[in-house]
Amino acid sequence: MDHYDVLVVGSGIGGMESAIKLGDMGYKVLLVEKEGSVGGRVILLSKVFPTLDCASCITTPKMAATIHHPNITAMTYSEVMGIRRGGDGRFRASVRQKARYVDESACTGCQLCESACTVAVPDQFNADLIARRAAYIPFPQAVPKKAVIERAGTSPCIDNCPAGIKAHGYVSLIRSGKYEEAFQLVLDATPLVGSLGRACYAPCESGCTRGELEGPLPIRRLKRFVADRHYREMEGPGVTPAQPNGKRVAIVGSGPAGLTAAWQLARNGYEVKIFEAAEEPGGFLRYAIPAYRLPQDVVEQDIANVTALGVQIATNSPVSDLGALRRDGFDAVLLATGTPLSSGLGIPGEQLQGVVGGLDFLRGVRHGRAPDLHGRRVVVVGGGNVAMDAARTARRLGAETLVAYRRGREEMPAHQAESDDAAAEGVEFRFLAAPIAVVGDSAGRVQGLRCQRMELGQPDASGRRRPTPVPGSEFMLPCDEVIAAIGMLPDTASFEAALPIAADRSVKVDPHTLQSEIPYIFAAGDVVTGPTDIARAVGQGRRAAHMIDRWLTNRPLTGFHALDDRLAAVDTAEVLGRQRRYTRHDPLVADVQHAALPRDFAEIEPPMREDEALQGAGACLDCGVCSECGQCVAACPPSAIDLSMRERTFDAEVGAVVVSTGYKLFAADLKPEYGFGKYPNVITAMQMDRLIAPTRPFNTILRPGDGKVPERIAYVMCTGSRDKTVGNPLCSKICCMYSTKQNQLIMGTLPLADVTVHYMDVRAAGKRYEEFYQQAKDMGASYIKGRVAKITETENGNLILRYEDIENGGEIAEAEYDLVVLAVGVQPNRDPERLFLDEPLGLDDYYYVAEPNEDLNPGKTSIPGVFVAGAASGTKDIVDTILHAGAAVAQVAAHLEQENRTKKVPV
Amino acid sequence: MSNTPTRDIREIIREEPLMHRPILRVLADGPLTVPEIAEALGRPADEVLFWVMGMRRYGMLAESKDPTDDGYFSYAAVGGGVPS
Ligand SMILES: Cc1cc2nc3c(=O)[nH]c(=O)nc-3n(C[C@H](O)[C@H](O)[C@H](O)COP(=O)(O)OP(=O)(O)OC[C@H]3O[C@@H](n4cnc5c(N)ncnc54)[C@H](O)[C@@H]3O)c2cc1C
Ligand code: SF4
Ligand code: SF4
Repeated sequence: MDHYDVLVVGSGIGGMESAIKLGDMGYKVLLVEKEGSVGGRVILLSKVFPTLDCASCITTPKMAATIHHPNITAMTYSEVMGIRRGGDGRFRASVRQKARYVDESACTGCQLCESACTVAVPDQFNADLIARRAAYIPFPQAVPKKAVIERAGTSPCIDNCPAGIKAHGYVSLIRSGKYEEAFQLVLDATPLVGSLGRACYAPCESGCTRGELEGPLPIRRLKRFVADRHYREMEGPGVTPAQPNGKRVAIVGSGPAGLTAAWQLARNGYEVKIFEAAEEPGGFLRYAIPAYRLPQDVVEQDIANVTALGVQIATNSPVSDLGALRRDGFDAVLLATGTPLSSGLGIPGEQLQGVVGGLDFLRGVRHGRAPDLHGRRVVVVGGGNVAMDAARTARRLGAETLVAYRRGREEMPAHQAESDDAAAEGVEFRFLAAPIAVVGDSAGRVQGLRCQRMELGQPDASGRRRPTPVPGSEFMLPCDEVIAAIGMLPDTASFEAALPIAADRSVKVDPHTLQSEIPYIFAAGDVVTGPTDIARAVGQGRRAAHMIDRWLTNRPLTGFHALDDRLAAVDTAEVLGRQRRYTRHDPLVADVQHAALPRDFAEIEPPMREDEALQGAGACLDCGVCSECGQCVAACPPSAIDLSMRERTFDAEVGAVVVSTGYKLFAADLKPEYGFGKYPNVITAMQMDRLIAPTRPFNTILRPGDGKVPERIAYVMCTGSRDKTVGNPLCSKICCMYSTKQNQLIMGTLPLADVTVHYMDVRAAGKRYEEFYQQAKDMGASYIKGRVAKITETENGNLILRYEDIENGGEIAEAEYDLVVLAVGVQPNRDPERLFLDEPLGLDDYYYVAEPNEDLNPGKTSIPGVFVAGAASGTKDIVDTILHAGAAVAQVAAHLEQENRTKKVPV
Repeated sequence: MSNTPTRDIREIIREEPLMHRPILRVLADGPLTVPEIAEALGRPADEVLFWVMGMRRYGMLAESKDPTDDGYFSYAAVGGGVPS
């Protein structure tokens, strides 16, 4: 545990002043600030009243002093999670240091990450007037001037991808027109960009937050879009492998798992050779998935990525002796042989002519040995995706096709889209039908399938309702062919002597490292997991490559960040809660024209046009904020960005606490009659301060509705102050003077502008405040006494103010302006309430931190040892805040000295 | 202007990267003001302002020296123009 004399919470002018003074007195101070820079609100202001000193000039020296003070440990981008009192009267604070994802010691503040970033979010440091990026330095004078990558969690699409592909990343790259970069981001995970773009079952889309609105993004087809474009326009993968490292890896099997592992290892400098039993590489991509879903040339383009790196693929080369590979000089072997065997039906008549396994049937068709099924009746047994592929393939070969499945439609494991497509192509379904025998004629040819009707009972281990036979319900499905698509198995018999094999014939490996009992043998893909899908096999291939690399370089088999130790998925409700309203984005559905009797194997899904891709990607909600597109990492000259960083929580023991969490501003949309948030040219005074500041978001003071230089500007005073209707009867005290300051500065910047202030009464109590107010009047600002009742907007974006003109007989009058500034009031920041876990921090009637003995003991709160500095205890201007911090510092010092004395006096 | 329902600022801002290329395309023939860009794109001027200012901030656009008589600055593409 770290030990400090004082914990200061919040680094606005009050917090910095307290920390510096306490540090100067020799106390050790821990300062915790939730934003990425110290400085609070003052650093964001233009100038300060009544001196018109530049806010930056007075604040930056304090910021630098805070960060560099030998007695202050300043932690930015951090939060105090809770404070408890220990038995000795001291406090224990738990502090969460959020991950910046940037190595502060390496970052030079060059801002190249910001320019490269593909995610735009409202800039809170510019009062939402402009966009910043997910990679950002809070503001130009930030101290420390170090970037932060804003990450709210893993985006659901990425979190759902078993291949660890950065779906959000490539979506955001496409949105930015960076199509090749999007392709490269997928290629970083796997060479199978085109195949996944067509045949992946897209778990990313099932997780997409937009699905909670009108439907998910077409994430898979976006991948196909970048793959189609790359293969059309580029030669080769565009990836240079590392220098050869002299090590050799043999991979058995060239399906998605084997090809992905080969790609990853070859890029890392390994010499890789794939041994493939079949005539052509690709595994199920080539021999199972039908061409109308995944054309042959796409598989070939994907495989060419792998061979372009020098990977050799020996086809017609079944491997049965893994030890021989070792003896041939391979340093490691990866077994990725999939599940090439069809499970049998296990019923009488299975051996009859006309009964075929689903995989064997599909394999035969892709081998060019398609049977002519015209006029023939085919029954496909099974309800999975392979059954759908077999049925649709049989349809294309001319058959009348029926799928018999022992449970109901709801329980079918096939993806809904697959079964819908099958139905659209004329495949019929018979549910709750379990085969009990294949019936043949005297020549041994199939005549029909005897089935039994089933009914659904209680859910089984898979969560689906278990089918049970209905007694006496047997019936016959007359047919000429039976395709058994009820399951697939690994073919591992020849490895049994060398490797432990499970009862389901899969290879036993450590699920995390994929290493077998024989250290140089790893296994990945469906041969380990049983039949899954391309994306899972790709994820396994990546994992295996990573672990083989670690093993061959004598490192622990850990650190696979693509799938392990990802940030928790961001909560969908949190994402949707970021906006009050959403514009509808009609989901983009591929215009697939299904023929009721399809005749050929041409690809049925049309490619995505560029405008569709942009429209599709444009609907992304940036759930995790950072999209993990990797552009910042590539742009950062000192390689300071590390997305694998994680937050850290630690405890600190402190003798006293200073709460200096400042204030909040009134949310102007709570006065709907003023139209803030509805009329773009109604802004808040904080926004005006940003527009006037030298680090302003626009090129000058412009109205946000259309970028016009405003000529007639109105101020509406006391917005949200002295107003019981919004629950704030208090005067905010600073609004009169900040408005007066802004009036003068506007007239200085825009000499032609007229400024009119609609006020109740002007409160200029303070040294030189009255003179300051008179000076604004002398410069030409007009003052109209009377509350503004309503603001409406004209066609050209101007605003009509309706108000009571008290000094002219109380008439209701109207005036037109280009721009209206709401002088919003101050509100308590309720954060401090949550800080103290075992004794509540006393608040006053208005929810500011209470100073029970405010007149005589300013800065002391209801908890002994806890002090308050600045606007956390009530509205204050800068001068008052500094004075108040001074009072708090004196209280802290008295408290600590008294504690010290008590400890020293022997009892 | 008053009849267009305003969209959530976060949503408008999120579209900035998507709008870079369309905006650079309409600026290919010379600088335009925010209302002119809005007209060319068929999008509301307040939304275009967010995009233009974001692009200006990150060095893709620069403003004219002076505003027009109506009080509007023009914005020109800086650097390479429309990326391919
Ligand atoms: C009909 C069908 C349709 C599918 N459709 C989809 C889909 O649309 N989307 C999806 O995500 N998933 C789909 N899948 C699942 C997906 O294809 C698999 O999950 C994935 O291919 C598994 O990859 P793998 O590399 O583990 O195995 P495989 O793709 O099976 O590759 C294994 C390779 O190893 C070779 N091999 C086997 N034994 C040896 C040996 N002893 N020596 C040398 N080589 C050997 C095999 O010939 C094969 O080439 C489908 C599966 C089928 C059957
Ligand atoms: S909205 Fe975007 S980031 Fe969120 S899940 Fe969908 S694609 Fe991913
Ligand atoms: S690109 Fe790198 S060095 Fe530059 S600001 Fe970003 S993180 Fe820092």
